[in-house]
Amino acid sequence: MKRIRSFNESISGNKYLAAGLIMTGLALVIGILGLFWTPYSTTAMSAAEKFAPPSIRHLFGTDNFGRDIFSRVMKGMGTTIGISALVVFFSGTAGILLGAITGYFGGLLDEAVMRLTDAVNGFPSILMALVIISILGNGKHNVIISLGIVFIPSFVRIVRSEFIRLRDADYIRRARLMGVGRLRILFVHILPNIFSVFWVSVMIGFNNAILAESGMSYLGIGVQPPDASLGKMLSDAQGYLQSAPWYALAPGLAIVWIVLGFSLFSEGVRRCGE
Amino acid sequence: MKYIGKKLITLIMTLFLVSVAAFLAFQIIPGDVVTSILGTEATPEREEQLRQELGLDKPPVVRYFAWAADVLRGDLGVSYRYSKNMNEMMPVAELIGDKLPVTLWLAAVSMLLIIGVSIPLGVLWARSSNHFLDGLLGVITQASMAVPSFFLGILVTYLFGILLKLFAPGGYISYQENFSGFLGYLFFPAMSIAVPKIAMTARFLRNSMLTELRADYVRTAYSKGATKRRVMYRHVLRNAMMPVVTFLGMIIAEIVAGSIVIEQVFSLPGIGRLLISSISTRDFPVVEILILYITFVVIFVYFLVDILYRVIDPRISEA
Amino acid sequence: MIRIENLSVAFDGAEVVKNVSLDLVDGEVLGVVGESGSGKSVTALTLMGLVSESAQITSGRVLFDDVVLQEAGKPRDQALYRRYQGAQMSMIFQEPMTSLNPTQRVGRQVEEMLWLHAEHRPQGPWKHASDALLMSGRRTGQKEEFRTRVLEAFHAVGLRDEERVYASYPHQLSGGMRQRVMIAMALILHPRLLVADEPTTALDVTVQNQIIALLRKINSKQNNAMLFITHDLNLARRLCGRIAVMKDGQVVELGETEEIFRHPRQEYTKRLMEAVPSRMKKRTWAAGMTPDSSVPVVRVHDLSVFYQDGSNSLFAQKKKQCVVADASFEIYPGESLGLVGESGCGKTSLSKAILGMNRDIRGEIVSNTIRPQMVFQDPYSSLNPTKTIGWLLQEPLRAAGALDQSKAMTRADMEAAAYDMLHRVGMEDKYFHRKPSQLSGGQRQRVSIGQALITHPGLVVADEPVSALDVTIQAQIMELMRRLQQEMKLAYLFISHDINVVYQMCDRIMVMKEGRIIEVGETEKLFRAPREEYTRELLSSS
Repeated sequence: MKRIRSFNESISGNKYLAAGLIMTGLALVIGILGLFWTPYSTTAMSAAEKFAPPSIRHLFGTDNFGRDIFSRVMKGMGTTIGISALVVFFSGTAGILLGAITGYFGGLLDEAVMRLTDAVNGFPSILMALVIISILGNGKHNVIISLGIVFIPSFVRIVRSEFIRLRDADYIRRARLMGVGRLRILFVHILPNIFSVFWVSVMIGFNNAILAESGMSYLGIGVQPPDASLGKMLSDAQGYLQSAPWYALAPGLAIVWIVLGFSLFSEGVRRCGE
Repeated sequence: MKYIGKKLITLIMTLFLVSVAAFLAFQIIPGDVVTSILGTEATPEREEQLRQELGLDKPPVVRYFAWAADVLRGDLGVSYRYSKNMNEMMPVAELIGDKLPVTLWLAAVSMLLIIGVSIPLGVLWARSSNHFLDGLLGVITQASMAVPSFFLGILVTYLFGILLKLFAPGGYISYQENFSGFLGYLFFPAMSIAVPKIAMTARFLRNSMLTELRADYVRTAYSKGATKRRVMYRHVLRNAMMPVVTFLGMIIAEIVAGSIVIEQVFSLPGIGRLLISSISTRDFPVVEILILYITFVVIFVYFLVDILYRVIDPRISEA
Repeated sequence: MIRIENLSVAFDGAEVVKNVSLDLVDGEVLGVVGESGSGKSVTALTLMGLVSESAQITSGRVLFDDVVLQEAGKPRDQALYRRYQGAQMSMIFQEPMTSLNPTQRVGRQVEEMLWLHAEHRPQGPWKHASDALLMSGRRTGQKEEFRTRVLEAFHAVGLRDEERVYASYPHQLSGGMRQRVMIAMALILHPRLLVADEPTTALDVTVQNQIIALLRKINSKQNNAMLFITHDLNLARRLCGRIAVMKDGQVVELGETEEIFRHPRQEYTKRLMEAVPSRMKKRTWAAGMTPDSSVPVVRVHDLSVFYQDGSNSLFAQKKKQCVVADASFEIYPGESLGLVGESGCGKTSLSKAILGMNRDIRGEIVSNTIRPQMVFQDPYSSLNPTKTIGWLLQEPLRAAGALDQSKAMTRADMEAAAYDMLHRVGMEDKYFHRKPSQLSGGQRQRVSIGQALITHPGLVVADEPVSALDVTIQAQIMELMRRLQQEMKLAYLFISHDINVVYQMCDRIMVMKEGRIIEVGETEKLFRAPREEYTRELLSSS
């Protein structure tokens, strides 16, 4: 029975993986390319080509200033992916350090960190980011800082609970009996064992970062013009929903594409890993 | 009982921490409030007077406790930005007062939608032996979770508002005027918040049920001669619901976050929009109160869920 | 009464049960013994109609009183089966904790059996609605009657304070009580067949005795047939009239219990019998093992160990509990000291204190060896799954080198030592680069032992090192441990719940009860003339 299930799962797991890889790969290629080169300038306006519907010339049409939407989506994807990757990198690293130490050693520091993450946890993450942004001011870098801070607790939680689970595992007890040093136990003995769990949370975190970043830009307190951003494009497009629905669809679908591709990819990795 | 007491203390401690953080955070911000209210043209005397009125001449710690004491008494302070008329400043309480019900109703309708749809859907999914249905639900939920709520809101506006004309986008109906019309309008933003969460919850419930179905007690129930249906509803569902209750509780924070954004999409005059505008205009007394308020709601719901969990799970109530 | 004819069951094309034929008459107890993977559980589950739907019956059939319950090539008739399940044939399982619904009061769970088979239970489309009515207590008369019957059933299986048990959740009962509840549930409708799948394996020795006695009593009183599945040959011998020995899905030998034990015909049966640790066999290793020095490896004097309740939360009140009280004993080089007692008696706490893993102690531990090592019960959790065997064997040397410069070894030396240890524990070179997941349970336990011994500690604490293994593997590991002990002049503190294993393995035995050492003595002497009543009870168990 077990064998049948794992067989089935790995087939569908592979499907997930393939679909996810293709979608994510395409998003990465387009996004990174968009940071350096776009078919049209993302800022060049053209009064003659206002609200051109999608065509060969303008794949996704043009906006209210006659700018090429495809070019702007390319650049926006690059910006969003870049910001989210940095956010996950910073908060993930901080999460590993804090989670490992608090989880393994426990004690007062653990108590303090947990109270803090509990408090933050009771707080909608986008709200938290908004507050930090309102203190730091708008802009790309502040978005990275604020989301980076906001995402730390979720990583701390996961890493911490894994370290708590493993600190009393038989093989860790034996390592202590052998007299292996603490740091070595933390990072050589335990850490490799939590990677599969951590990897899943990185994937989830990356998707959440994309959603949060585009949400903030949509609200007008994230990335500022002239940087192109998918969220900002959506909020601009909302006023022209009746006359130019493609204007809103293009950046919105771009977000869905990235998030869906990545979650399919992570689901595939999870299923095949089992 | 002792547990409830403990939890209450934690709740109050958390609130205290958040209030300190919220208050202090806005003290370190560069820029003078007085200048931003009066403009750069005001006389030094007028500035000094306002500073005293707002209590800004005292040290932060003193100001915090004065502020906290006022809040506890029900005096939420005054807005820097809005004013009632030329001479009177706008109390925050009044500013928030009529916006609160909008957000609360939005969250409530969303939650109802989530619970009402996701649980039957999750059960149906767990029961489906049909591979096609299983796969279809898998793809649909995966896709729904990838749609950000504000984009979903725009899609809903376009589809139901512009194409199908089921509601007038931007035509918010005030709850004071026409309550059923208000709820009718709220349905669409609530749907935009709910759909991704429904997908998540249904998935979660389904996985939880599949896990429970492999448990030993299920085999025991079958060995007694119970039908599949009976095993599912009388034994598995209850056990599978336990983690889902916690999950639903945790979603509340995300619903609140979602409503902040969705109010913007559907032009709802709730506290989310007020918060965004107060942040961009640096109206800190309003921001502080809103943060406190939202935090309070969220952790209070957590608290309730925690208690509920203890009631329904006999294994914990003892410990 | 029940007949299994030529039954084969396959999962995904692979047959796990092959041409098994068994039959039982009323009142008979048939034992099915075999090691894990022998197909004994699948046979029982197939008989009960509980095997998962992905299983395929490739040949044969199951009959109950000449009614065909299932047959090769035909889908299982669930409705037919449901009439038999519980009423005519019922089952008890290994893990009473997980086999009961954790969120339902146990009384209700037993009661469910009654009303699932209530005679006038309506059929048809309104069945479920009326079920709900029934349970909601509208039919109070019947509800009261059922309740009384459940309480009587509890009484019959030796549960006292029936009302309280009725209203309890599984986690509020002890393991023995839970298994009694399971038995009450299985027998409340007086089924003619009881299938018991390792019903005592998860229980303490003395509780195990009580449950076996109970099953025997019920069997003689109700004259029900019983299919008793176990890996424990001693247990099967005590309870069963006939025994079927299974291996790789086949019944290799079937016959009268005593006949099989005295004159096993098949090679496998003989091997199995030999592997079983038993008091009736000569202690092969024990002869001539005298402590070769009067200086103990460890001397424990008036040791008390405390356990702190609660987590590290600020709110938790720290409650101190004394789990070991005033223990005094010595362990000498080259000897095996057995430590026996039931779960919760303080065995593990005592061993942790000796290893220095628990520092909340009072009293004295004088150790003449550095860093005593430990071998755990579960071979699957005692090796770090992300490392290779070679890495794991070298890690103790690296750690020792890091702690003490004088012990630092070169890379090549460490590798050589690791290979040497791999050979000593009876494994080939090719395993050096493998990961634990590629090894069997027995092989992992070998690596575990190797890892514990590579730094040449004077003392190894072995906490149930063979309890998770099949008997034939068990015998190999015990032999290995004994051989290494002689080669390396090791002292063992050998913890086990299995009296027979301890008998075979140890020179002296220490009995613990409720945190106290109540008796210490040389193995033979202790078995011949135990001083304490508790020891006698413990030793009589198998």
